[in-house]
Amino acid sequence: MGYSGASGGHEAVLAAEKLVERRRYGGASAWLGIDQITGRLGLAVDRVMGEGGLWAPELAARALRQAEGDVQEAAQLIRAHRSTVPRVAYSEPVHADELRISRRISPAFRNPPGSQLLGRTLDYVGRLLDLMPEDQARARLQAADPSPEPVPAAHDLTANGHPTANDHVTANGHPTANDHVTGNGHEAGGHDGGAHGDPRRPPRLLRLLRSMGMVVDRRTEGDPEPYDITRAPIRPGVPRSARLTAMARAETGALVHLWYANTFQPGRHNHEFPGEVRHGALPVRVRHPLTGAPVTVTEVRVTEVETIDDLDRAEEDRSRLDLGYGMCFGHNERKAIAMAGLDLLVHRDAGRTGVEQEVLLTLDGIEASGFLEHLKLPHYVDFRSVLDRKRAVRAAMEEAVAR
Amino acid sequence: MRTVTELAGTGGPRGIFDELSKREVRRAALTAVAVPGYQVPFGSREMPVARGWGSGGLQVTLALVGPGDRLKVIDQGEDGGVNAANLRRLVVGHVGCEEETDTRRATLIQSRHRIPETPLRADQTLVLQVPVPEPLRAVEHDVREQRRMHAQEDYARMWVGLYEDLVRNGVVTKSAGYPCMVNGRYLISPTPIPRFDVPKLDQAEHLTLFGAGREKRIYAVPPHTRVEPLVFEDVPFEVEHTPGAACRHCGATASYLVEVPSMDGAVAWVCSDTDFCTRNREVR
Repeated sequence: MGYSGASGGHEAVLAAEKLVERRRYGGASAWLGIDQITGRLGLAVDRVMGEGGLWAPELAARALRQAEGDVQEAAQLIRAHRSTVPRVAYSEPVHADELRISRRISPAFRNPPGSQLLGRTLDYVGRLLDLMPEDQARARLQAADPSPEPVPAAHDLTANGHPTANDHVTANGHPTANDHVTGNGHEAGGHDGGAHGDPRRPPRLLRLLRSMGMVVDRRTEGDPEPYDITRAPIRPGVPRSARLTAMARAETGALVHLWYANTFQPGRHNHEFPGEVRHGALPVRVRHPLTGAPVTVTEVRVTEVETIDDLDRAEEDRSRLDLGYGMCFGHNERKAIAMAGLDLLVHRDAGRTGVEQEVLLTLDGIEASGFLEHLKLPHYVDFRSVLDRKRAVRAAMEEAVAR
Repeated sequence: MRTVTELAGTGGPRGIFDELSKREVRRAALTAVAVPGYQVPFGSREMPVARGWGSGGLQVTLALVGPGDRLKVIDQGEDGGVNAANLRRLVVGHVGCEEETDTRRATLIQSRHRIPETPLRADQTLVLQVPVPEPLRAVEHDVREQRRMHAQEDYARMWVGLYEDLVRNGVVTKSAGYPCMVNGRYLISPTPIPRFDVPKLDQAEHLTLFGAGREKRIYAVPPHTRVEPLVFEDVPFEVEHTPGAACRHCGATASYLVEVPSMDGAVAWVCSDTDFCTRNREVR
């Protein structure tokens, strides 16, 4: 009976599963290795980790393969996997200044404090379909870059996190081509934002703007625990940390859409300026169960954005600027920039419109697409109820006409 | 540290849901029973089914079910539909409980959109999947305002909406998921069960738990609790009914019937509750 017959649902489900497995494991082409996915489809893996809310490159690659490349589905697999494992410890807070950059740009000034490090970006690589045969392309790379050092996999952070040896710091001229900053030489408490001239930890533009008196100070007293949206549901009125977490796990396209739709609202005459766009590695530390001392157990790559916007509303301090913040797993600048823009938008909106609720409750890709796809489920019990009411309305109308 | 690890347990052979999370769901369910009709927020986990596909009902079921249970899962009243079959095999495979289709023998019933025709007993629990838990969404978009309205029992706009509906259409047009007052205090959406099933919640022998996974809320109608559809005194509550309709399999006229249309215009009717229908045929 298939889809919704009185019986046979079980058989139909098993048959569908078999067809899925045939696609997944069958076919003549070579089996796709996890290392190929992490190595060759790193940005897709990053998206799955970001939207899945779990830093686990190999699991994300596995999910991506299982989902036949559907990023949304892969993120769902990662989220469901999270639910199977107990939470036994919490990591220690790390300061974002500990981010060891592999890319950092600051569009707001020509020569900002710290360096502009273009790093690996598609921004200035011709957006042309590369039709060069693969062996030729590889040979050309070899000829141009005969370095014996193998290119580390995109997710290999143990090798000091430098994706390539070709990073060029474009300002301040620091020698960086092969500067291997050691990963563990910078433990807790040392987040001085490059005060010692570490080009991999440049100072923030925010500090400069603060010293210029150009930004409103929204720092608050105390250091509250971040709101854990996976343990407590999120709803309007939650602290900013909840909003930021929600956006960090949001679907990239949904974030971009909401940011874009709000950018052209009347009264908005300018777009924001990203003060920082950073991509790099952050340490993850947990307390040792015996000694109690923080121990670095791994690193995660994140994209971090601080975006600056003009303040022009009557109740705002129009002599200053304000800042929005975005950070997400992996390399996903689109997401982090949209996130920072929306963070600031929600703050400035101050409950005037429904934008906070929209940001908190509509951007999760797993929830949105799950609800959308549930429309495919059988609905004939409630549809019968709908038809019943239509007939009742019709009867009431006919009765009214007859009178 | 050791306590947490112990609590976490070793997990099943094919884990869906860790033990600490199940505890959280049980706590929310207990609160829900203590405050009938109140939507208890909980940290809903992602399940191996998509959001909107019973992820809330599944969490409640998994938090309650044990190896000794007999689990019945229905969708639209059917045990054999694709979604019901899928959820059942997921839980049974995870917990190792017994599969059951006979309503009378089931200890735990997870359902989407229906309450079985056979009246449930005090030793049975019904878990309803909830796509949209908030009845006030019909009149108020803002979540904070919805919470205020519930807190202050301010349901005036629901009454106004009902009145306007009646004036514009001559009848109340709300179909499935009819808003109900629970214990004279909280307004709930009884999920898209048909209006036909609403009276089964009133002063029921059994406990009904509502799990909304995407919206992260759990609420309950405990046994022997008043459940009253929102109606005016002089406009009676109407349930789905088509004069002359009878199940073409078992002949039932008093069960919830769904249409089987055909292109030549002839309409047949069948019971949506397939277990009830099968047993009713045997009786005849």
